[in-house]
Amino acid sequence: MNPSREIYWNIPGHIFLYILFFPFLVVFLYGMYQQVRRLLMGQSAAVLDHIWDRLKGFAEHAVLQRRIARDTISGLLHLSISWGFVILFIATCLVALQDYFGIPTLYGNFYLYFMSLTVDLFGLAAIVGVGIALVRRYGAKPDRLLKPRLADSYGLLLALFLVILLTGFLIEGLRIAATNDPWGRWSPGGWLSSLPFVGIGRSQLATLHRLLWWFHAIVAFAFIAYLPYSISLHMLAAPANILLRSRERSGVLQPIDLEKAERFGASTIGQYTWKHLLDLEACTECGRCQQVCPAWTTGKPLTPKGVIIDLRDHLQLVAEGGDSRKMVGDVISHDVLWACTTCGACHQECPVFIEPIPKIVEMRRHLVMEEADFPETMQQALRSLEERGHPFRGTSATRTDWAKGLGVKTVASNGRPDVLYWVGCAAAFDERNQKVAGALAKLLQRAGVNFSILGEEERCTGDPARRIGNEYLFQMLAGQNITTLNTYGIKKIVTSCPHCFNTIRNEYPKLGGTYEVVHHTELLADLAQQGRLHPQRPMHGIATFHDPCYLGRHNGVYDSPRRLLGAIPGLQVKEMDRCRERGFCCGAGGGLMWSEEKIGKRVSWERTEEALALQPQVLASACPFCLIMFEDAIKVKGANETTKPLDVAEVIAQSVS
Amino acid sequence: MPVNIIVCIKQIIDPEIPASQFKIDPGTKRQVQGSHSLVISAYDQNAIEVAVQLKEKHGGKVTAVSVGGASAATALKSALSMGADEAILVDDPAIVASDQQGIAHVLATATQKVGVFDLILTGCVSGDWGDRAVPAFMAEELGIGCVGFVSRIEAKDGQVVLRRVVEDGYELIEAKTPVLVSIISDETNTPRYPKLKDIMAAGKKTIPVWKAADLGVDSERIGAAAARALITDVYLPVKESKCEMIEGDTPQEQAVKLAARLRELKLI
Repeated sequence: MNPSREIYWNIPGHIFLYILFFPFLVVFLYGMYQQVRRLLMGQSAAVLDHIWDRLKGFAEHAVLQRRIARDTISGLLHLSISWGFVILFIATCLVALQDYFGIPTLYGNFYLYFMSLTVDLFGLAAIVGVGIALVRRYGAKPDRLLKPRLADSYGLLLALFLVILLTGFLIEGLRIAATNDPWGRWSPGGWLSSLPFVGIGRSQLATLHRLLWWFHAIVAFAFIAYLPYSISLHMLAAPANILLRSRERSGVLQPIDLEKAERFGASTIGQYTWKHLLDLEACTECGRCQQVCPAWTTGKPLTPKGVIIDLRDHLQLVAEGGDSRKMVGDVISHDVLWACTTCGACHQECPVFIEPIPKIVEMRRHLVMEEADFPETMQQALRSLEERGHPFRGTSATRTDWAKGLGVKTVASNGRPDVLYWVGCAAAFDERNQKVAGALAKLLQRAGVNFSILGEEERCTGDPARRIGNEYLFQMLAGQNITTLNTYGIKKIVTSCPHCFNTIRNEYPKLGGTYEVVHHTELLADLAQQGRLHPQRPMHGIATFHDPCYLGRHNGVYDSPRRLLGAIPGLQVKEMDRCRERGFCCGAGGGLMWSEEKIGKRVSWERTEEALALQPQVLASACPFCLIMFEDAIKVKGANETTKPLDVAEVIAQSVS
Repeated sequence: MPVNIIVCIKQIIDPEIPASQFKIDPGTKRQVQGSHSLVISAYDQNAIEVAVQLKEKHGGKVTAVSVGGASAATALKSALSMGADEAILVDDPAIVASDQQGIAHVLATATQKVGVFDLILTGCVSGDWGDRAVPAFMAEELGIGCVGFVSRIEAKDGQVVLRRVVEDGYELIEAKTPVLVSIISDETNTPRYPKLKDIMAAGKKTIPVWKAADLGVDSERIGAAAARALITDVYLPVKESKCEMIEGDTPQEQAVKLAARLRELKLI
C-alpha cells in the first residue's frame, strides 16, 4: 500500500482560503510598501558587486547562521525556530504543488520521510525553540536583551508562533485520530497529539478539526500581515542585509568627495544611504554588540544597539510625518557619539552585519565639519595636526630624536630602501613609545633589513582626524603623505602603529597611494621564521598579549605577535578571556586618545584588570596607544612593580640581545 | 548698535617647538624658521574670537590686519575662517626689521586706511618675543585710548565695558569708542574651531596686499634704520645641572645631611 493521506481532508471549502488570505495580503503589502518607502528616504548606495562572494556570505550567515550560532543557546533556539518555520512553509507549498500541478508530494517515501517525519521534527524543534526563547526573554532576562530597553513586539511574535505550531499539531492529531491513519506514527508530533482524542467520535473530531484548521490559517495569515509592522520584519530585512553587507574591512571609513559634497556628514536621517537605513530595519535587538562594547561595558551611555534602535525609531517618526527632535544631539546625544572607540567589536559580533561605526562617524563629521561643536581636547589635537602634522601638543621631541645614535637613515639621505619604516607620531613624540621605535630599529638592523625612515617629512596619517570626523584634514594629511611616498617610489612599508597600518594599508589606496603594508609584528615574525632573528635568551614568567583593535579585529593579524612571543624560551604565554576577534579595546581608538574619559569606568582600567588577573610579568601589546593606556592604568592599579607593559618588539629585543 | 572692529594679528613661528629646535640667526638675531610651521600668535587668536563674538551679538564688521610676509596670508585666511569679514595683508620689504614703534606706525596707518572703527583689538603679548608694546604705541599714533590685558568686552551705546585682568582679580573699565584693547585669554574667548564651509569660503576670498606707500607711511619711521630699539644679542639660556650625591648610612642620616646642605645653599 502506497503511504499517503487525503489532501485537504475534511476541508471541502479550502479554496476559500485564498479569499480569506486576500485582506491579510493587502495589509502585508501595504506594510512592505511603507518599509521600502522609508528605505528610499536614504541616499543611493552601490551594493551589488561581487555577487558570488555575497551569495557565499548569505549561505554562511543567513542560511547556516554561523554568527548567530556563536552563542550556543540563542543560536540553537534561533536555528530551530527559523528553520522550523522555513521547513513548515515549504511543506505547505508542497501540498499546493500536488493540488494544482498534480505532483504527488503526499505519496510514498517522500510523504513518510519528508512531509511527515522531517516536517514534524522541525515543527517540534520550533516549539522547543519558542519555549526556550520565552524563558530567556521573560524569565532569565539577560542584560543584552533587557537594556537599554526590552524589544516590545517579540512577545506577540512568539505567542503567534506558539499558537501556529500547537494548532498545527492538534489539527494533524485530530486527522490521525479521526481517520485512524495507518502512517500516523511517521508524524511524531501529530501522533502524540492524537493520543488524547482516541475514542472520541469521528464527527466530533471532524468538527473540531475543521474549526481549528480555519483558526490555524487565520493565525498564520495574521502573522504574515503583522510581519512588516514589527520586529518580525528582521526575517526579511536581516537576510537582505547579510546579502547586501559592506565588503570593506571594518576599520575602513568611506571618503567624502570634498569638491562636490554639499554637506559633510549626516545631520538628518535621510542623509544616510538606504543601506544604512536597511541596517536599522535589520536589527533584531539581540544586544550582542552591546555586550562587547567597551563604552557600554564601562558605564558610558553609548550602546551600539541603542544607537541603531534610536535611529530606527527616529526614522519611523520622520517617515510618518516628523520628529521634532534633532538627530544629532537629541536622538543621539553628544556623549554617545564621543564614547565610541571605533574598536569594531560591534561589527564583529553582529549576526546580521549591521555597522554602527560609520553611522557614528557620519554624525561626528557633521558635528566637526559643519558645527565645529566637539570636545575641546580633540579640537586641540586637530589644531596640532593642522599646524604641526602631529597630534602630540607640547612634545619636547622631534620626529627623529628617538633614532639618535642608532644609525637610522632617512629616505632623503639613503635613497629608496627595501622597506620604509613608518614610525608614526606616537613612536616619534611620546617618550615611552620612542623606546619601541628604538627596539624595532635595532631588530631590523640586526636582521639585516635595508630600511629607512621619512624623518621630518613624515606627517600624521590622518587616522585621528578621520575618526574624530574631520575628513577634510584627513584628506589633506593623506594627500601630503601619499605625495611624499610616491615621490620616493616607496613600495613596501612597515609600521609599528596599527592605526597607521590600517590607514595606509586600507584607506590610502582610494586616495592614490597603494603600497605593500605590514605591521612590525608580521615583519618580525617573518624574520624569525627565516632565521634572521633568534629569540634565544630565556625569559621567565607569564606574558599575555592584548590584541590592538586596528591590528586584530580590523585587519585580522592575530597570529604573528603570538608566534613571536611563543618563540621566546621560557616565556609562558597566557590568553585573556577576551582575546583575538573578541579582544577588548584599550580605550584610545577612534580619536579618544585625545578625549577626557569622564563618564563611567576607564576602558583601560577594565582591560588592565582583566590582564592583571593572569598575574603576568609582561602585558604585551603592539600598538603605541595601547601601551600609553596600559602604562597609566598599571600604575593606577599599583601593579607597575610586577607587570611591565611592553611592545612585542621590546620583548623580542630582550630575548634576542 | 553695530560694532566695527579691526583685529591686528601676527604670524609667528610655532612657539611650541622643542627648545632643542630653537635656532637663532647670528646675523639678524632672529629665530630661524627651518621646517617649523607658522601659526597665529596665541593671544591674537583670542582677540579674533572676541571680535567675532561681538559681531555676532551686535552686528558690524570685523577686519583682520597683519603685517608680515606673503606667508601671513595663511594666518589671515584662518582669521577669515573664524568669522572675520575681511582681511588685509601689509607686506613690504621696507617694513621688515622695524621695531615696535615702526610696526605700530604701519598698523596705525593701515587701520586708518581701513576706515571707521569702534574697536581695535590685538593680542596682549606676542607669542614669539613676548612684546607687549605695539598696542600702546599704536593707540598713541591714532590718538585713541588703550586698555591692555582685557579678558571680556561688552559693548553698549558708543562705549564698551572692559574686564581687565589684574593681580588677584579684575577691574571693570568703561571706555568711549574708538578704543584700542589688547586681549588676554579667558574661558569665554577660546578660539573657535572653524567650520569647514567657512574654511572653504575663506579660501576663496582674496586678501588685498598693501604696500607702505599705499598707506602714507612715513618712510623715515620704518625699517632697521629707524629703529630706536636695537637688539644687540639673543641667545638661548644654557641650563646647567649638577648632581650631588648625599652620603649617609641610614635614610635618617641622609635626610639630616640633605637638610643641612640645602640650608647651606640658602634653598631652605
